[in-house]
Amino acid sequence: MTKVLEIRNLVKEFPGVKALQGVDLDVLEAEVHCLLGANGAGKSTLIKCVSGAIEPTSGEILFMGEPLPPGDPAGTLKLGVATIYQELDLVADLSVAESIFLAHEPRRGPLLDLERMYRESAALLARLGHESIPVRAKVGRLRPAAQQIVSIARALSGNVRLLIMDEPSAILDDGEIRTLFDVVRRLTAEGVGVVYISHRLDEIRRIGDRVTVLADGRTTATGLPATTPTDQLVEFMVGRKVDQLYPERPVGTDRVLLEVRDARRLPAVRGVSLQVHAGEIVGLGGLVGSGRTELLRLIYGLDQPETGEVFVEGKRVRPNRPGHAIRRGLGLAPEDRKSQALVLDWSETKNVTIADLSRFSRVLLDVRKERASAHKQLRSLNTVPDDPDRIVRLLSGGNQQKVVLARWLLHQCRVLLLDEPTRGVDIATKAEIYRIISNLASSGLGVLVVSSELEELVGICTRILVMRDGEIVAEVDGNDATERELLRHAVAPTDAPELAEEVV
Amino acid sequence: MTAPAQASEPESGPAFADRVKALRLQEYALAIVVVLLFVVGSILKPDTFPTWDNVRNMLTQASVVGVLAIGMTFVIATAGIDLSVGSMVAAAGVFGGILVGTDGTSSLVFIFGAIAFATLLGTINATAVAYARVVPFIATLAMFSIARGLALLLNDKLPVSLLDLNGGSFGNPRPFSLLWFGNGRIFGIPASVYVFIAIAAAGWIVLNRTRYGRYVVAVGGNREAARIAGVPVKRIIFSVYVLSGLLAGVSTVLLCARLGSASPVSGNLYELDAIGAVVIGGTSLAGGRATIVGTFLGVLTFALIFSLMTQLNLSTEVQQVTKGLIVLGAVLLQRSDARS
Repeated sequence: MTKVLEIRNLVKEFPGVKALQGVDLDVLEAEVHCLLGANGAGKSTLIKCVSGAIEPTSGEILFMGEPLPPGDPAGTLKLGVATIYQELDLVADLSVAESIFLAHEPRRGPLLDLERMYRESAALLARLGHESIPVRAKVGRLRPAAQQIVSIARALSGNVRLLIMDEPSAILDDGEIRTLFDVVRRLTAEGVGVVYISHRLDEIRRIGDRVTVLADGRTTATGLPATTPTDQLVEFMVGRKVDQLYPERPVGTDRVLLEVRDARRLPAVRGVSLQVHAGEIVGLGGLVGSGRTELLRLIYGLDQPETGEVFVEGKRVRPNRPGHAIRRGLGLAPEDRKSQALVLDWSETKNVTIADLSRFSRVLLDVRKERASAHKQLRSLNTVPDDPDRIVRLLSGGNQQKVVLARWLLHQCRVLLLDEPTRGVDIATKAEIYRIISNLASSGLGVLVVSSELEELVGICTRILVMRDGEIVAEVDGNDATERELLRHAVAPTDAPELAEEVV
Repeated sequence: MTAPAQASEPESGPAFADRVKALRLQEYALAIVVVLLFVVGSILKPDTFPTWDNVRNMLTQASVVGVLAIGMTFVIATAGIDLSVGSMVAAAGVFGGILVGTDGTSSLVFIFGAIAFATLLGTINATAVAYARVVPFIATLAMFSIARGLALLLNDKLPVSLLDLNGGSFGNPRPFSLLWFGNGRIFGIPASVYVFIAIAAAGWIVLNRTRYGRYVVAVGGNREAARIAGVPVKRIIFSVYVLSGLLAGVSTVLLCARLGSASPVSGNLYELDAIGAVVIGGTSLAGGRATIVGTFLGVLTFALIFSLMTQLNLSTEVQQVTKGLIVLGAVLLQRSDARS
């Protein structure tokens, strides 16, 4: 059979991170090739290299035997390589037909040929078995699954030979996933090669023909049959072993540092009370959308609560005043470092000191003292490279997170709120961040961690609170917790069996 | 949930130089441009260009826009814009002129009146942008129209003479009286130039060496991150528009002092001059990157170019086209710089 895609020894380096360190992959015509790997294994980077969104550092990408134009998404699409990203990139206010033909609208002279656009959109949707989707409806009004079909139809509006799908099932329920699989099979029946990314092992057996596994930016196995036993796949996914990923679990004291009483902001947070003691790491588990991030925002004063009070060491924190929360001793490392925590064009120093500049200023800033203090904190966290003047845009995700942590160390905060602290961080740095968090707790801070990686919560937390639909539904001791148990609490009882099948 | 660090923007790379150093480099480059312009002017017009008279003249004119440009640097550092400064200059001048009336009591009445009025207008901008959440472009575009309208309404479209403040002529103004700011000199250098340099120096210190200045740039660099770091974002945004109004008042004083009158049609397109100087100086229109030294050099660059064009007998229309092209070019340069 013909090879649609051939990747040889692909390498992609970012400053401070080797995202891909030699990846090989073949995709045949009419097959579904699954790409498997844990968070941060390099799956997204790999497909961005293929789609032209980023340029690889070295290595070969051949499409139908010819090299693809590097760093040219439009050219790549024209050749017949279409990519559907994880976050659907549709414009809510456009109609279905407009979305499908966005940027290559059929025209009659200078005017849009709306009739043809509607007709061809309907034909494309019919080809996918979804003629019921109304071509004139606004995309924003469709269900996520239907939006996904529209994305696929858009990919097909050109002459597609290779379709790349990045975790298409992540936002779909089980029925919708079945529909998606039908669509994928129709495409392969027409000879299209499909790269299907997922970290759900059960899906691979249902839809895949062959599997390639990535770990730490390398292919640890390529072209395995989809029937490969689960244990074996997991073994490949783990990749490099990290000694002692998780440090010793801190034991809390009796002293209450943070107390939240009946925090409420509908619809996301529906009355939450909790305490964090000195020396404790308290985990907040739950599914995406269960209200965890929103709860942190209320505690930290980023949103106006409807009811509820927050106390740090017995003193009340004024609502909706982050500056006051900081003075009371709270610190927040938000979910999205780039957009919420850092001024990317600034040096590490300035990013570290921004929350506590009064320490260095009477009338004027003492910039030497500022740099020295920031440097000391950054060094204590082993930030690489050892250069406080480095612009944070150039740092890897792990080092950016260390800059944020250094900020709160400098401020000597009492309670640290961490939202997905290891998102986008490689496994070695993860271990380091766990150790830092654990040390902070041991030194008497209270830590409240939100994480979607259950394994991480089980690994580091003294206690774990599970949220569902804006409420805390369970509290589990860290020593006894298992991922399976947390997951069972996190999903509504009826969905439990199916979702519990999810591995990783 | 696969959003690894590796998915960061591809624009970063080893060749991608340290931004701070890049900014300094731009300042050096601009300093060279200033020197080159002076040399070119001296070669083309050796009799008239490199003379004390011409230099004094250039600097006096530059200081009026220069003061506006310092305020504009703060506004643009927060990723905002103030399109109303030229109109505010006109309105504040006419307002001050009316306060003085014909009896010509005191220069201080004009100086404080004009600065207070411009600050008031700036405060309206500030309230609209910071608290009513009007986009800066629209809020200050509205003020652009409002202030110009006020300037024309306040004295029935007529200019106000300010010569009465000095016994009816430009001759020998007392130090620190109004006309002295436009025509007085210390060691041969016009008083208005001292004012501009003093404000530029103060601006540099505030922007680079105070907590407030750091906050201003943080708000422009990443508003959400600034808020999470405890920066009082709204107050900071409010303050820069007030500051821009206040400095428009100072600029009014320098302009009216030089002309000996306050005209309702003065200050036309000063906002473009000020924004242009800020942008060619290297301050980012997207916020987060600001340089007072760059703005200062940008002001000098503009002054040299237009002085030279005037001496070469190029019409004001040609100068206006050139000005627009320079600003456009500077913005394009900045964009390609940000993408490199």
